[in-house]
Amino acid sequence: MGIFGKKDSGVKPPVVQAPAAVKAAPKSSQRNTTLETTYVGKNLTIKGTISGEGNIIILGSFEGKFDLKGRLKIAQGARIKGNVRATDIYVNGNVEGGIAGTEKVQLDNSARIKGGIMTPVISILEGAMFDGEIKMSDKTAQAPKPASPGPTQPPPDSADPNKKETVL
Amino acid sequence: MERGKATGSTSLLSKKVKIEGEIQGNEDLHVEGHFKGSIKITGDIFIGPTGIVEADIEADNIIVQGQISGNVLARKQLQLQSSGRLLGDCSALTIDIKEGALFEGRSKMIRSSAESAGAKPGVK
Repeated sequence: MGIFGKKDSGVKPPVVQAPAAVKAAPKSSQRNTTLETTYVGKNLTIKGTISGEGNIIILGSFEGKFDLKGRLKIAQGARIKGNVRATDIYVNGNVEGGIAGTEKVQLDNSARIKGGIMTPVISILEGAMFDGEIKMSDKTAQAPKPASPGPTQPPPDSADPNKKETVL
Repeated sequence: MERGKATGSTSLLSKKVKIEGEIQGNEDLHVEGHFKGSIKITGDIFIGPTGIVEADIEADNIIVQGQISGNVLARKQLQLQSSGRLLGDCSALTIDIKEGALFEGRSKMIRSSAESAGAKPGVK
Protein backbone atom coordinates (compact mmCIF):
# COMPACT_ATOMS: atom_id res chain seq x y z
CA MET A 1 0.00 0.00 0.00
CA GLY A 2 2.98 2.31 -0.16
CA ILE A 3 1.80 3.68 -3.50
CA PHE A 4 -0.69 5.99 -1.88
CA GLY A 5 1.90 7.64 0.26
CA LYS A 6 2.64 10.44 -2.23
CA LYS A 7 -0.83 10.97 -3.49
CA ASP A 8 -1.60 14.47 -2.26
CA SER A 9 1.79 16.04 -3.01
CA GLY A 10 0.72 17.47 -6.37
CA VAL A 11 -1.89 19.87 -5.06
CA LYS A 12 -0.66 23.28 -4.02
CA PRO A 13 -2.88 25.59 -2.08
CA PRO A 14 -3.25 28.86 -4.01
CA VAL A 15 -1.30 31.60 -2.32
CA VAL A 16 -3.40 34.72 -2.19
CA GLN A 17 -1.88 37.66 -0.38
CA ALA A 18 -3.70 40.90 -0.18
CA PRO A 19 -1.44 43.88 -0.97
CA ALA A 20 -2.32 45.56 2.29
CA ALA A 21 0.70 47.79 2.56
CA VAL A 22 0.30 49.41 -0.85
CA LYS A 23 -2.36 51.91 0.04
CA ALA A 24 -0.45 53.62 2.82
CA ALA A 25 2.55 54.56 0.73
CA PRO A 26 1.30 57.40 -1.52
CA LYS A 27 0.01 59.48 1.35
CA SER A 28 3.35 60.21 2.89
CA SER A 29 4.92 61.11 -0.42
CA GLN A 30 2.02 63.40 -1.13
CA ARG A 31 2.68 65.25 2.07
CA ASN A 32 6.26 65.79 0.99
CA THR A 33 5.27 67.32 -2.31
CA THR A 34 2.82 69.66 -0.65
CA LEU A 35 5.63 71.00 1.51
CA GLU A 36 7.63 71.62 -1.64
CA THR A 37 5.02 73.84 -3.19
CA THR A 38 4.86 77.40 -2.00
CA TYR A 39 1.29 78.46 -1.60
CA VAL A 40 0.04 82.02 -1.22
CA GLY A 41 -3.53 81.93 0.00
CA LYS A 42 -6.47 84.08 -1.00
CA ASN A 43 -6.25 86.40 1.96
CA LEU A 44 -2.57 87.13 1.72
CA THR A 45 -0.79 90.06 0.11
CA ILE A 46 2.90 89.98 -0.63
CA LYS A 47 4.93 92.94 -1.79
CA GLY A 48 8.52 92.55 -2.82
CA THR A 49 10.66 89.96 -4.53
CA ILE A 50 10.15 86.23 -4.73
CA SER A 51 13.03 84.11 -5.94
CA GLY A 52 14.28 80.57 -5.70
CA GLU A 53 13.38 77.11 -6.88
CA GLY A 54 10.24 75.05 -6.68
CA ASN A 55 6.60 75.34 -7.53
CA ILE A 56 4.44 78.25 -6.50
CA ILE A 57 0.69 78.58 -6.44
CA ILE A 58 -0.76 82.05 -5.95
CA LEU A 59 -4.34 82.71 -5.00
CA GLY A 60 -3.80 86.02 -3.27
CA SER A 61 -2.13 89.18 -4.46
CA PHE A 62 1.46 89.88 -5.21
CA GLU A 63 3.20 93.07 -6.18
CA GLY A 64 6.81 93.13 -7.22
CA LYS A 65 9.28 90.93 -8.99
CA PHE A 66 9.15 87.22 -9.48
CA ASP A 67 12.12 85.12 -10.49
CA LEU A 68 11.58 81.41 -10.12
CA LYS A 69 13.06 78.16 -11.33
CA GLY A 70 9.99 76.02 -11.48
CA ARG A 71 6.30 76.09 -12.19
CA LEU A 72 4.21 79.12 -11.31
CA LYS A 73 0.46 78.85 -11.14
CA ILE A 74 -1.55 82.04 -10.88
CA ALA A 75 -4.99 80.85 -9.88
CA GLN A 76 -8.35 82.38 -10.60
CA GLY A 77 -8.88 85.52 -8.53
CA ALA A 78 -5.19 86.09 -7.93
CA ARG A 79 -3.76 89.51 -8.70
CA ILE A 80 -0.19 90.07 -9.81
CA LYS A 81 1.46 93.40 -10.49
CA GLY A 82 4.98 93.35 -11.75
CA ASN A 83 7.32 91.26 -13.81
CA VAL A 84 7.00 87.54 -13.57
CA ARG A 85 9.55 85.04 -14.71
CA ALA A 86 9.53 81.28 -14.28
CA THR A 87 10.19 78.07 -16.17
CA ASP A 88 6.58 77.20 -16.71
CA ILE A 89 3.75 79.65 -16.11
CA TYR A 90 0.07 78.89 -15.90
CA VAL A 91 -2.24 81.89 -15.58
CA ASN A 92 -5.88 81.90 -14.65
CA GLY A 93 -5.89 85.18 -12.74
CA ASN A 94 -5.01 88.82 -13.29
CA VAL A 95 -1.54 89.90 -14.27
CA GLU A 96 -0.36 93.43 -14.91
CA GLY A 97 3.20 93.35 -16.14
CA GLY A 98 5.60 91.24 -18.11
CA ILE A 99 5.49 87.48 -18.16
CA ALA A 100 8.52 85.47 -19.19
CA GLY A 101 8.31 81.72 -19.29
CA THR A 102 11.51 79.92 -20.24
CA GLU A 103 9.59 76.79 -21.26
CA LYS A 104 5.95 77.68 -21.69
CA VAL A 105 3.12 80.01 -20.82
CA GLN A 106 -0.48 78.90 -20.59
CA LEU A 107 -3.42 81.29 -20.31
CA ASP A 108 -6.59 79.68 -19.09
CA ASN A 109 -10.09 80.94 -19.73
CA SER A 110 -10.35 83.43 -16.90
CA ALA A 111 -6.88 84.90 -17.31
CA ARG A 112 -6.63 88.68 -17.57
CA ILE A 113 -3.29 89.90 -18.82
CA LYS A 114 -2.02 93.42 -19.38
CA GLY A 115 1.54 93.39 -20.55
CA GLY A 116 4.02 91.49 -22.61
CA ILE A 117 4.63 87.78 -22.79
CA MET A 118 7.86 86.15 -23.78
CA THR A 119 8.02 82.40 -24.19
CA PRO A 120 8.93 79.65 -26.67
CA VAL A 121 5.59 77.86 -26.24
CA ILE A 122 2.25 79.55 -25.72
CA SER A 123 -1.27 78.35 -25.22
CA ILE A 124 -4.28 80.64 -24.85
CA LEU A 125 -7.70 79.26 -24.10
CA GLU A 126 -10.96 80.77 -25.24
CA GLY A 127 -12.15 83.36 -22.77
CA ALA A 128 -8.75 84.62 -21.78
CA MET A 129 -8.19 88.36 -22.09
CA PHE A 130 -4.82 89.53 -23.24
CA ASP A 131 -3.80 93.13 -23.82
CA GLY A 132 -0.24 93.36 -24.96
CA GLU A 133 2.23 91.63 -27.16
CA ILE A 134 3.80 88.25 -27.36
CA LYS A 135 7.35 87.61 -28.29
CA MET A 136 8.21 84.03 -29.08
CA SER A 137 11.70 83.26 -27.94
CA ASP A 138 13.75 80.41 -29.30
CA LYS A 139 13.28 77.28 -27.27
CA THR A 140 16.97 76.48 -27.23
CA ALA A 141 18.00 79.98 -26.25
CA GLN A 142 18.67 80.36 -22.57
CA ALA A 143 16.17 82.46 -20.67
CA PRO A 144 15.93 85.75 -22.51
CA LYS A 145 15.49 88.61 -20.12
CA PRO A 146 12.43 90.77 -20.54
CA ALA A 147 13.15 94.37 -21.50
CA SER A 148 16.84 93.85 -22.18
CA PRO A 149 17.38 93.77 -25.95
CA GLY A 150 21.15 93.33 -25.65
CA PRO A 151 22.87 90.67 -27.76
CA THR A 152 22.88 87.22 -26.21
CA GLN A 153 26.03 85.99 -27.91
CA PRO A 154 28.39 83.96 -25.80
CA PRO A 155 31.96 85.19 -25.45
CA PRO A 156 34.07 83.99 -28.40
CA ASP A 157 36.48 82.06 -26.15
CA SER A 158 33.84 79.63 -25.03
CA ALA A 159 32.75 78.73 -28.55
CA ASP A 160 33.91 75.47 -30.05
CA PRO A 161 36.49 76.31 -32.74
CA ASN A 162 35.41 73.34 -34.87
CA LYS A 163 31.82 74.36 -34.83
CA LYS A 164 30.56 76.02 -37.97
CA GLU A 165 28.98 79.39 -37.44
CA THR A 166 25.53 79.55 -38.92
CA VAL A 167 24.52 82.91 -40.25
CA LEU A 168 20.95 83.40 -41.28
CA MET B 1 1.92 68.03 11.42
CA GLU B 2 -0.34 69.79 13.81
CA ARG B 3 -2.01 72.94 12.70
CA GLY B 4 -3.36 75.57 15.00
CA LYS B 5 -6.68 75.88 13.25
CA ALA B 6 -8.76 73.59 11.17
CA THR B 7 -10.52 76.43 9.40
CA GLY B 8 -9.00 78.71 6.81
CA SER B 9 -6.07 77.92 4.61
CA THR B 10 -2.41 77.95 5.38
CA SER B 11 0.01 79.66 3.10
CA LEU B 12 3.36 78.03 2.69
CA LEU B 13 6.76 79.40 1.88
CA SER B 14 8.79 76.36 0.92
CA LYS B 15 12.41 75.54 1.48
CA LYS B 16 14.16 76.77 -1.62
CA VAL B 17 12.13 79.93 -2.01
CA LYS B 18 13.19 83.36 -0.89
CA ILE B 19 10.91 86.33 -0.45
CA GLU B 20 12.00 89.85 0.26
CA GLY B 21 9.36 92.39 1.09
CA GLU B 22 6.22 92.46 3.13
CA ILE B 23 3.47 89.98 3.78
CA GLN B 24 0.07 91.04 5.00
CA GLY B 25 -3.22 89.31 5.31
CA ASN B 26 -5.65 87.19 7.12
CA GLU B 27 -4.33 83.69 7.00
CA ASP B 28 -2.01 81.19 8.65
CA LEU B 29 1.52 81.10 7.35
CA HIS B 30 4.06 78.30 7.36
CA VAL B 31 7.65 79.26 6.57
CA GLU B 32 10.26 76.70 5.56
CA GLY B 33 12.19 79.03 3.29
CA HIS B 34 13.85 82.37 3.66
CA PHE B 35 11.96 85.57 4.28
CA LYS B 36 13.27 89.09 4.73
CA GLY B 37 11.10 92.12 5.44
CA SER B 38 8.00 92.37 7.55
CA ILE B 39 5.05 90.11 8.28
CA LYS B 40 1.76 91.31 9.64
CA ILE B 41 -1.02 88.76 9.62
CA THR B 42 -4.20 87.93 11.42
CA GLY B 43 -3.56 84.27 11.91
CA ASP B 44 -0.82 82.00 13.12
CA ILE B 45 2.69 81.75 11.87
CA PHE B 46 4.73 78.59 12.04
CA ILE B 47 8.42 78.78 11.28
CA GLY B 48 9.62 75.28 10.45
CA PRO B 49 13.06 73.86 11.13
CA THR B 50 14.47 75.11 7.85
CA GLY B 51 12.76 78.49 8.03
CA ILE B 52 14.81 81.64 8.35
CA VAL B 53 12.98 84.89 8.93
CA GLU B 54 14.70 88.24 9.10
CA ALA B 55 11.69 90.34 9.79
CA ASP B 56 9.46 92.03 12.29
CA ILE B 57 6.50 89.76 12.82
CA GLU B 58 3.02 90.44 14.07
CA ALA B 59 0.65 87.49 14.33
CA ASP B 60 -1.72 85.68 16.68
CA ASN B 61 0.28 82.61 17.60
CA ILE B 62 3.91 82.36 16.66
CA ILE B 63 5.57 78.94 16.75
CA VAL B 64 9.27 78.82 16.07
CA GLN B 65 11.33 75.79 15.15
CA GLY B 66 13.59 77.74 12.86
CA GLN B 67 15.19 81.10 13.19
CA ILE B 68 13.95 84.66 13.59
CA SER B 69 16.02 87.81 13.56
CA GLY B 70 13.71 90.67 14.32
CA ASN B 71 11.08 91.86 16.70
CA VAL B 72 8.06 89.74 17.34
CA LEU B 73 4.56 90.52 18.54
CA ALA B 74 2.32 87.58 19.33
CA ARG B 75 -1.24 88.61 20.10
CA LYS B 76 -1.71 85.25 21.78
CA GLN B 77 1.23 82.96 22.26
CA LEU B 78 4.87 82.88 21.35
CA GLN B 79 6.26 79.38 21.37
CA LEU B 80 9.97 78.80 20.95
CA GLN B 81 10.55 75.11 20.43
CA SER B 82 13.82 73.41 21.23
CA SER B 83 15.33 74.01 17.80
CA GLY B 84 14.00 77.57 17.66
CA ARG B 85 16.12 80.69 17.76
CA LEU B 86 14.90 84.22 18.33
CA LEU B 87 17.27 87.14 18.09
CA GLY B 88 15.20 90.19 18.87
CA ASP B 89 12.60 91.52 21.24
CA CYS B 90 9.26 89.92 21.80
CA SER B 91 5.87 90.95 23.10
CA ALA B 92 3.34 88.27 23.80
CA LEU B 93 0.28 87.48 25.83
CA THR B 94 1.77 84.14 26.86
CA ILE B 95 5.19 82.80 26.19
CA ASP B 96 6.52 79.27 26.03
CA ILE B 97 10.21 78.58 25.61
CA LYS B 98 11.34 74.98 25.43
CA GLU B 99 14.68 73.77 26.70
CA GLY B 100 17.31 74.11 24.01
CA ALA B 101 15.79 77.18 22.42
CA LEU B 102 17.86 80.27 21.94
CA PHE B 103 16.47 83.69 22.79
CA GLU B 104 18.45 86.90 22.89
CA GLY B 105 16.48 90.06 23.44
CA ARG B 106 13.90 91.69 25.63
CA SER B 107 10.57 90.20 26.48
CA LYS B 108 7.44 92.14 27.28
CA MET B 109 4.18 90.61 28.31
CA ILE B 110 0.99 92.16 27.04
CA ARG B 111 -2.00 91.99 29.36
CA SER B 112 -4.81 91.39 26.91
CA SER B 113 -5.14 90.80 23.23
CA ALA B 114 -7.00 94.12 22.94
CA GLU B 115 -3.94 95.94 24.21
CA SER B 116 -1.77 94.27 21.63
CA ALA B 117 -3.59 96.03 18.82
CA GLY B 118 -1.77 99.24 19.69
CA ALA B 119 1.33 97.72 21.20
CA LYS B 120 4.45 97.47 19.16
CA PRO B 121 7.38 95.26 19.90
CA GLY B 122 10.21 97.35 21.32
CA VAL B 123 11.35 99.10 18.20
CA LYS B 124 13.50 102.16 18.77
